[in-house]
Amino acid sequence: MRAIKCVLLTCDPAVKEILIAMNERENFIIEDLDDYHLVIKADEEYRIRRELEVELEKNTYSLES
Amino acid sequence: MSEKRIAEVGPSDYPAKRARTDEDQEDIVIDYNEEDAIPPSPPEEANLVPRGATINFSALTRKLAEARRAKDTEPPANLSSLEQHRRHQDSLVSHIFMDQDFSWLHLKPDHASRPLWISPEDGHIILEAFSPIAEQAQDFLTAISEPVSRPAFIHEYKLTSYSLYAAVSVGLQTEDIIEVRALLRLRVRTFSRKVPVPDSITAFIRERTLSYGKVKLVLKHNKYFVESSHPETLQLLLKDRVIREARLMTVQADNSIKAATFTTSKAPVKGNLVIPGTAKEAEKKKDDGKPATAAPTDADLFTSVVGVEGGLPTLSLSPILMVNFLVDEIEEDDENVHAFEINDAKIDDVKKRCNELEYPMLEEYDFRNDTVNANLEIDLKPATIIRPYQETSLSKMFGNGRARSGIIVLPCGAGKTLVGITAACTIKKSCLVLCTSSVSVMQWKQQFMQWSNVTDKQIAVFTADEKERFAGPSGIVVSTYSMVANTHNRSHESKKMMEFLTSREWGFILLDEVHVVPAAMFRRVVTTIKAHSKLGLTATLVREDDKIADLNYMIGPKLYEANWMDLAAKGHIANVQCAEVWCPMTPEFYRQYLRIQNRKRMLLYCMNPNKFQACQFLIKYHEDRGDKVIVFSDNVYALEAYAKRLGKLYIHGGTGQVERMRILSWFQHSPQVNTIFLSKVGDTSIDLPEATCLIQISSHFGSRRQEAQRLGRILRAKRRNDEGFNAFFYSLVSKDTQEMFYSTKRQQFLIDQGYAFKVITHLDGLDKMEDLVYRTRDEQIELVQSVLLASESEADLGSDVRGGEGDLAGTVTSKDFGRVPRMPGTQRTTGSLQALSGGAHMSYVEQNKSANKKLAREQAPRHKLFAKREKEKAAARKAAR
Repeated sequence: MRAIKCVLLTCDPAVKEILIAMNERENFIIEDLDDYHLVIKADEEYRIRRELEVELEKNTYSLES
Repeated sequence: MSEKRIAEVGPSDYPAKRARTDEDQEDIVIDYNEEDAIPPSPPEEANLVPRGATINFSALTRKLAEARRAKDTEPPANLSSLEQHRRHQDSLVSHIFMDQDFSWLHLKPDHASRPLWISPEDGHIILEAFSPIAEQAQDFLTAISEPVSRPAFIHEYKLTSYSLYAAVSVGLQTEDIIEVRALLRLRVRTFSRKVPVPDSITAFIRERTLSYGKVKLVLKHNKYFVESSHPETLQLLLKDRVIREARLMTVQADNSIKAATFTTSKAPVKGNLVIPGTAKEAEKKKDDGKPATAAPTDADLFTSVVGVEGGLPTLSLSPILMVNFLVDEIEEDDENVHAFEINDAKIDDVKKRCNELEYPMLEEYDFRNDTVNANLEIDLKPATIIRPYQETSLSKMFGNGRARSGIIVLPCGAGKTLVGITAACTIKKSCLVLCTSSVSVMQWKQQFMQWSNVTDKQIAVFTADEKERFAGPSGIVVSTYSMVANTHNRSHESKKMMEFLTSREWGFILLDEVHVVPAAMFRRVVTTIKAHSKLGLTATLVREDDKIADLNYMIGPKLYEANWMDLAAKGHIANVQCAEVWCPMTPEFYRQYLRIQNRKRMLLYCMNPNKFQACQFLIKYHEDRGDKVIVFSDNVYALEAYAKRLGKLYIHGGTGQVERMRILSWFQHSPQVNTIFLSKVGDTSIDLPEATCLIQISSHFGSRRQEAQRLGRILRAKRRNDEGFNAFFYSLVSKDTQEMFYSTKRQQFLIDQGYAFKVITHLDGLDKMEDLVYRTRDEQIELVQSVLLASESEADLGSDVRGGEGDLAGTVTSKDFGRVPRMPGTQRTTGSLQALSGGAHMSYVEQNKSANKKLAREQAPRHKLFAKREKEKAAARKAAR
């Protein structure tokens, strides 16, 4: 068995759901621990963070838009 | 007297400036003016100084200023270290502001006590509302500019062509430049700005105020004329293609454009009219010569700021009276007036074009000298009292003795109707009232009867069901926009009625809820009905489609906009605490939310169990406080689900009339019913002054108007004058969903009015509440499943509301307005007699009944004492027989 470098992610349930949805497109979740914790691949972390940011930004209203 | 005052103040205008700066700026200003002599581009949204010219100008000035400062700051020896540090900071920060960096402008030496900032580029004025003299400055600002945003501490106003014109005609009667300069001087003094008035703004004001009032649109004998006392101006206008095309050639007019071709006539001579209350006129005359005694606000301002005689009493004169003494100042007597006729159908284009040419057409109606149209003898009932702000708004309308067309903006529940009625009673001519739905038609009629002494015969209603005419030569007609604008499919009767409406001249046309009317419909109304003056009323001058600017030329400028916070502070409307409650989505719901891409998403975030719980908690909390709670939901599915689960009464479009009345009367009178759920039907047509708390669980996307309208439901709370009373307005929002976006957008209008939304992320004590709904995961999953089973159409908003014939689409915001409600189709089935009688069915009991059904069919049960007494009485009567 090969070892994979991982990161423990702490998030709220809603963000976890977004991550799970993202996971369906491209697999990066190693282990779903509970409502608040996930273990994901370490080298995917920054991409995930960026995409998550975009996703959450969609629901924010700004005067410019 | 005014001259003298100006002279006193004049020299102190620019003392703060350094001579060198002055020169620099002056040079550039001249350039700028030359450039602007030919307006580079017609500023369509009346957007002040043409952009291109100004930016160059200010950029240049900035560069010069920077260069100069560089020179100035070279020897830093005499600066304290703190000051040096400051300068360093400034230069570090200034690039962030780009074009908005005005740090090169010099502050006045006493700037700390002056609350105003003026942006030299776009005419925006920033007011520090916490300053001790802010209130007076505010009065002045509302007179000369339009409010943009008024939160608690910093207010923003904007100078526009219209607002300046309104200021000139209210404050100063003559258009000659000296007077305008006088206004400027006054500004310089009263303004108490922190920076000297930028020259670009001065030029702008001077320029704009000059061209105003030169062109008038007049309705004479049912024909429109463009009128002016300056033939050159008319010629200038006629050179424009649009206007030339719209011109109606009369037989004798030849095509050459000469002053001779204009119909020339004597300007009407303004005589003094006898109006009740003239006795006070003499008293006012003393103040003559002071040009701006017109509006009481101005007068107050002058006395307070200038500190001259405290003698001017707080003027509490009625608008009629004010009109009266202003008439003397109009000095157009004996001047020749030139005019040419305009095609009815092209009125709109001409008006728009004139605006673009910077010759805004005035629509003023000299109603007291109109002898052609019959007078209508109506007056306010003696008991009717007009509130101060209503008076102010009317004084803006009748500022110079004539009725000016325009829009008045007052919050919901602040008595817009009364303003309209008072205006009608001032003009005293035939009047047409247009509203959005047949329900409000009846409300207007009833209000007219209540506030004025109009008789039943003088007021007529024109809707799909009723077509009346008033008796006598003049009267009032109340109708809806679509009845008047509709061009096809008319019944014989309404055709006749329309002929009646179009054949006459109306003195006054009142447009209710003016913001919802589509532009095309408006155009039809305005072109078919001949009216001398128009008044638009609204609470929320916002549209999601940005068509609001159209109203500017179709009706007129915004005459007055009330300050909501001010009215609340004075107790005219209730104080409201606004809060946005963030409810996290449960994982099950959010998973489905992410998966589903269609409209059902909406259903998911409405039905979020956490929202359910928050709603239950808030209802419980406020019922215990003794509040009456209304819960709003646009989504009917969610509405029923919530109401049934929480055991509350509900009303939506499908609720029958009898049931609806019963529920409302229980809510109003019974202490047992403290909460009702309302769908969109409650947005406008239901008036519930008992309600003190409002919770919204689902709403119409990002509609700012709906938010304001809903808030309006509690603004007229009966208890608003109780000590320390607060009404509450909660928006429940599901976190991490589109609702967050919409919710913020919806709030923008109210935020501009000065409301602050608190965000509540956690309701304290929610967990400890007994019988909390959907507490367990199983229940929540069950709920999610039932939501998923619901059909997609359940997610539609306001699907229950259907407008009647002649209602405007925007008012009863339903998707398929006007469609006849579907009749339940008949069914044909075969079966045994046993099956038909129900014997073969499974026995079925609905556990979760709607609370509506549980309501007793009768009125509230009588108290035992009375019941007993009645029984005894009946017995006694029997015995007596």
